[in-house]
Amino acid sequence: MTRQEIMERTVKIIRDCVPELEGVELNENTVVNTDMGMDSMNFILVICKIEAEFDVRIPNRLWNRLSTLGDLLDAIEKYRK
Amino acid sequence: MRFTSFAEMLGHYAEQTPDAPALRYEEGGAVTEMTYEELAEAVERCAAALRAEGKTCLGVLPDGSLACVLEIFAAVRTGIQVALLDGNLPTQVLSGLVTYTDADALWGDAELCGELGEALTGGVQNGAGRLLFFTSGTTERSKAVVLTEKSLCASAYNGGSLLPLSAEDTLLCMLPLGHVFGFVCGLLWGLSCGACVALGRGPRHYIDDCLFFRPTALSVVPTLLSFLLKQNLFNDGLRLLLVGAGDCPPVLLESARAMGVRVCFGYGLTETSSGVALSLGDDPYAMTVCPDDTITIAPDGEILIDTRTCMMQGYYKWPEETNTVLSGGVLNTGDLGHFDENGCLHVTGRKKEMFVLSDGTKLFLPEAEAELRAMLGGGDFALALRGEQIILAVHGEERSDEELFRVIAPYQKNRPRSQKVARISRQVAPLPRTPTGKVKRWELNARL
Repeated sequence: MTRQEIMERTVKIIRDCVPELEGVELNENTVVNTDMGMDSMNFILVICKIEAEFDVRIPNRLWNRLSTLGDLLDAIEKYRK
Repeated sequence: MRFTSFAEMLGHYAEQTPDAPALRYEEGGAVTEMTYEELAEAVERCAAALRAEGKTCLGVLPDGSLACVLEIFAAVRTGIQVALLDGNLPTQVLSGLVTYTDADALWGDAELCGELGEALTGGVQNGAGRLLFFTSGTTERSKAVVLTEKSLCASAYNGGSLLPLSAEDTLLCMLPLGHVFGFVCGLLWGLSCGACVALGRGPRHYIDDCLFFRPTALSVVPTLLSFLLKQNLFNDGLRLLLVGAGDCPPVLLESARAMGVRVCFGYGLTETSSGVALSLGDDPYAMTVCPDDTITIAPDGEILIDTRTCMMQGYYKWPEETNTVLSGGVLNTGDLGHFDENGCLHVTGRKKEMFVLSDGTKLFLPEAEAELRAMLGGGDFALALRGEQIILAVHGEERSDEELFRVIAPYQKNRPRSQKVARISRQVAPLPRTPTGKVKRWELNARL
């Protein structure tokens, strides 16, 4: 799966979980953790959906360090291997 | 029941109701039970193993599992000091905390414990019965609060005497055990009443733990309450919600009540081993003071707490800091409040979340920021004071300064000159906040 494909599926999950982000452009530099309506609980929901979607397990202690959408993609790619 | 130690509490129910379920937890995808008799025996077995190792301070990276609960109870039973550490902190920070707390052993994620191994110390003397909980205030760096099993049991008694649970109840423990509210109101409250405590499976299962364990009682922080409500994740049969550890918007409490659940709001601090007042009636913000506590209001409105049974021993190895808040057994909370005509406590704000301005007026930040939030439509922002100027620090804000000033014009119009926003400071990183979402003012000021 290419990074672009991961990006597209991740963005869909984020938009499904956080309707407040409707109309907001999401790119790799977008801060998605504790920003723009995605509070800590929404972030946990997004992580859970991502783990299920990509069959990965991102260690809990790394969650706080995932700041941007790009960080999320890096983690998905790292833990899919 | 009032207990003075965890062993006494577990021993009492192991004798009185040996077959009653003490803990429920997941094993192999199914709910499994451990009775009070089994729990007391398991703690003793774990304590024997720990005793053989000869350690004096155990740093615990709690994950809320059965093994974690057993390890904490067993360490205390053995006379080992326990330091509850947040495994989500950066390793470098954790290393400092391991050394600060004099830990000579660690329990938790094996990989992380391995990384922290070099920070271990030679241990501590006279740590028996102590549990160290970290608190991150809004104006200070993290401090370890020295509590004891006796003070924590007293706090559980306080809660249970106002909000009793029965052997038929299941209290779901979803909150981190490293937070005193989670430890007391998610675990000890249930056990001290002889109820069953269901051990939540961590953040990944916030979405299905209620349906999995089907609790009758649940302790939550406001952000978790908001999430559970929004996602409609509560189970039938839930009868009591205890909300604490942070300010909670009325709309959330009303939404929870609309489900037919009794909703109580609690006020307390890590320094007082968790709650000192709980709301019992229709008004969730009118709180009854717990039996072991005496609360008075200082002339400037600050809430002062005198609680002989639940008070901390002090901040760990930090007597100067202890003396700034604790004098003659009375804790200066830094919170503002008043009593109503019925003798119920209302918490109205945070003394430290206030700027005293050069014209003698005071700017109460929660109130001012709430007003601004309504105008800005949310976002990551906070007020700060630089010299005599009020700064609006924003992060992730796409609107121009001109547009922002236009949006907050009603605020500017209604405020004294000294309280008007003088300029906007754009922050590259998110604003520093505590786990409960409060702005870390000192960090923000340092950044500005």
